[in-house]
Amino acid sequence: MFKKIGFTNKWSVISFFIIVLILMPSIFILMGLFNPISDTWLHIRKYLLKDYVFNSAILVFFTGLFSIIIGVSLAWFVNAYDFKFSNFFKWGLILPLAVPPYIGSYTYVGLLNYTGIIQTFLRNNFDLVLNQSYFDIMSLSGAVFIYTIFLYPYVFLITHAFLQKQSASLVEVSKTLGKSPVDIFFRIILPISRGAYVAGTTLVVLEVLNDYGVVKYFGISTFSTSIFQTWFSLGDINSAIRLSVYLMGFVFIVLLLERLSRGGKQYSYSTTKVKPLKAKKLSGWKNWLMFSYAFIVLSLGFIIPVLQLIYWSIISYGKIVNMNIIKTVLNSIGVSLIGAFIILVSAVVIANTVRIKENILTKNYARIAVLGYSIPGAVIAVGVMIFFLKMDNGIQFLTGQNNILLLSSSIFMLIFAYLIRFLAVGFNSVESGFNKIGTDFHEASRTLGNGITKTFFKVDLPMMKPALMSGFLLVSIEILKELPLTLILRPFNFNTLATRAFEYANDEMIHESAILSLILISISVILVYSLTNIKRKGR
Amino acid sequence: MKYLNKRNILLIVVLVFAFSSIVIGAEGEVNLYTNRHYDTDKLLLDKFEEQTGIQVNVLKGGSDELIEKIIREGESTSADLLITADAGRLHRAKTKGLLQPVENETLFNNIPKNLRDTENYWFGLTVRGRVIVYSKDRVDPSELSTYGDLTDEKWEDRILVRSSSNIYNQSLLASLIAIHGEEWATEWAAGVVDNMARKPQGNDRAQATAIASGEGDIAIMNTYYLGKMLNSSNPEEVKVAKQLEIFFPSQETTGTHINVSGIGLTKYAKNKENAIKLMEYFSSVEAQEMFAKANYEYPVNPNVEPSELLSSWGEFESQDINLSKLGENNTKAYMIFNRVGWK
Repeated sequence: MFKKIGFTNKWSVISFFIIVLILMPSIFILMGLFNPISDTWLHIRKYLLKDYVFNSAILVFFTGLFSIIIGVSLAWFVNAYDFKFSNFFKWGLILPLAVPPYIGSYTYVGLLNYTGIIQTFLRNNFDLVLNQSYFDIMSLSGAVFIYTIFLYPYVFLITHAFLQKQSASLVEVSKTLGKSPVDIFFRIILPISRGAYVAGTTLVVLEVLNDYGVVKYFGISTFSTSIFQTWFSLGDINSAIRLSVYLMGFVFIVLLLERLSRGGKQYSYSTTKVKPLKAKKLSGWKNWLMFSYAFIVLSLGFIIPVLQLIYWSIISYGKIVNMNIIKTVLNSIGVSLIGAFIILVSAVVIANTVRIKENILTKNYARIAVLGYSIPGAVIAVGVMIFFLKMDNGIQFLTGQNNILLLSSSIFMLIFAYLIRFLAVGFNSVESGFNKIGTDFHEASRTLGNGITKTFFKVDLPMMKPALMSGFLLVSIEILKELPLTLILRPFNFNTLATRAFEYANDEMIHESAILSLILISISVILVYSLTNIKRKGR
Repeated sequence: MKYLNKRNILLIVVLVFAFSSIVIGAEGEVNLYTNRHYDTDKLLLDKFEEQTGIQVNVLKGGSDELIEKIIREGESTSADLLITADAGRLHRAKTKGLLQPVENETLFNNIPKNLRDTENYWFGLTVRGRVIVYSKDRVDPSELSTYGDLTDEKWEDRILVRSSSNIYNQSLLASLIAIHGEEWATEWAAGVVDNMARKPQGNDRAQATAIASGEGDIAIMNTYYLGKMLNSSNPEEVKVAKQLEIFFPSQETTGTHINVSGIGLTKYAKNKENAIKLMEYFSSVEAQEMFAKANYEYPVNPNVEPSELLSSWGEFESQDINLSKLGENNTKAYMIFNRVGWK
């Protein structure tokens, strides 16, 4: 019945505006496809494309696979069993998310290489020099390790949240039917949580495809590095666009697989309060085994890298001159919070419109909203730059004042790019929030004669608070760690923790970058902790 | 969600504006796009601001990204000056029409002719060599001679070098194309690939470390990385560096490959006068010392002595080509690397 409401309500108008706005840069980019094929493109196709496809596919497949194995198993264990520190692990296992993979990779290389602490220790105490290939992490398999250990929390986080709410009744029924724990895991938990872990894995896969820092450092050619290289080093923007289109095709397949595997299955309850699963107490060796598994994963993904960074910060402390850290920290926090706020508001507006007004136009909104997450940072950056410069040209024309770049020299450009890039993250949280509350309450309120806006603020919003806050925090963490967009689009004199840590590391001053990385990780940890707190209270 | 009301949304909007106003500068300024990020540079700029009252706004980024940005900004670019760590990039900026020539006596006096553009579109500020670093234990310096000699079979499985996506390797090959021609350069690159001790990986420091760990015996790397390692805060890295020695290749023949980090005035600079003042300052004796020292590089100004460490390595002959060639041959070099399978 709601479909009949006139097209021009506030929600539709604003969503339409946002959608058009975020589409503009992509349109400018895609126009480049109509340019003729260059020699560089032929060269790339002949010598390099095979490598890009192969490397990217390997990275995506194995990282995805291992992330599912680690993420789902841990999510199930902390839910179903009570073992040593299992309550801590419920949120502790999300901590690796606070470490940007590129910082993780620098740290692991520094830890494992010849001058690193492990080999130095063996050499100086036992006179032991091992084959260097044992310590070689700068390879495809090394990259899979880095991505898995720092990105699996996406799978863990979403699956854990899902199991916490949805599994209790099903598991209890199976137990009374005499099913074994193994049976329950494979026949109940895996199938019902498929939507959750597929969503998590999709995030992991998109992060991997977009990552620039790790593969650049390891010297692995992927789509992402090649787009940067073709665009900036070869100066061939059109070939770079062609590569981006290939990459987007890749991403499209991933997203399609996600849709297919969701297969219209929706588990929604008519109440937001669902009874949690009662954890089974473990003792003896099972207790220790469970604890060790969780502890090893957490050590690899968080404790070890952080200890290494602390050590580097201590030994380089005296050498740091004039770092101006406070301003950098404020920049990072400011831009993350403001960006996250704008993204969440946009996500809510669009998701609510999609939910209420189903038509051909709005059906595609959801797809457009998540598009940005699949476009490599460099491509978004230049698309946004072209778009803002066009707008500035317009302003120059209107005001008659030449030579002034009002918008493109401001922080707006960067925040707008974040909006395109991370709307997907906010949108997914908001959408799952809407899915969880269902439409019953909404429809009841509307039947009582309340408008969409009033219903949203009075009925939907209060129920969605946890989903919104977790979306907000997730986006903040993403922006805090974001690198390529910030590097390219930031205004004068604007540095963030991520850009400075990267600059130092890129200049092979890894010790100097340690202290900035540590601060960045600490802020992320606070955000991650708040995230889990909200989830706990939201129950 | 009671904090999501009109007043708070308005507050956020105001905050965003306040935040962005940080970047709107005062009069009497100069805008610098740079890919140098040394903390001592900031001290230098502070000094300049103090002496002249001109405020310097800095935008850091990768050279390629900054060039792309200036291209996109076109006539209304906010950049007055561009600093990159590679002459090839400066040349690209010049050919893309982003720079303008500067006829200035102070710069001419402070910067030797071979270290600036033939038409004065850009000026070198610091110099580094791409040299051979070898193991003191396992290599006799008399075995080493030229870049060309690296393809000799005596170096089989002994050479360490980073990936070809790195601009320093591209510029090295570009210089060899300029001197010996494309065919020779292709054979050379293929020969080096045959002699590599391992698949290219890691940065220049990693190559030096791999000598110490015994993976290879000689490494192609930039001079300043050895300086950085000798002064590292990790004592193990200092130990590694002390096992190594620098060799300047091709001294008897074509000279060692050098590169500069340099500066150019943008074509549409809005603060031209201030920008030239800053260029002059960078080339001055006072600034050169600190500028070069920050990164263990050689100063361009002949009146400034290189640091003690660099002097201890001795003087060397450099390739007798104009550094613009590095930019002209960059794409060719890149394609040769791909063809011969230099990852």
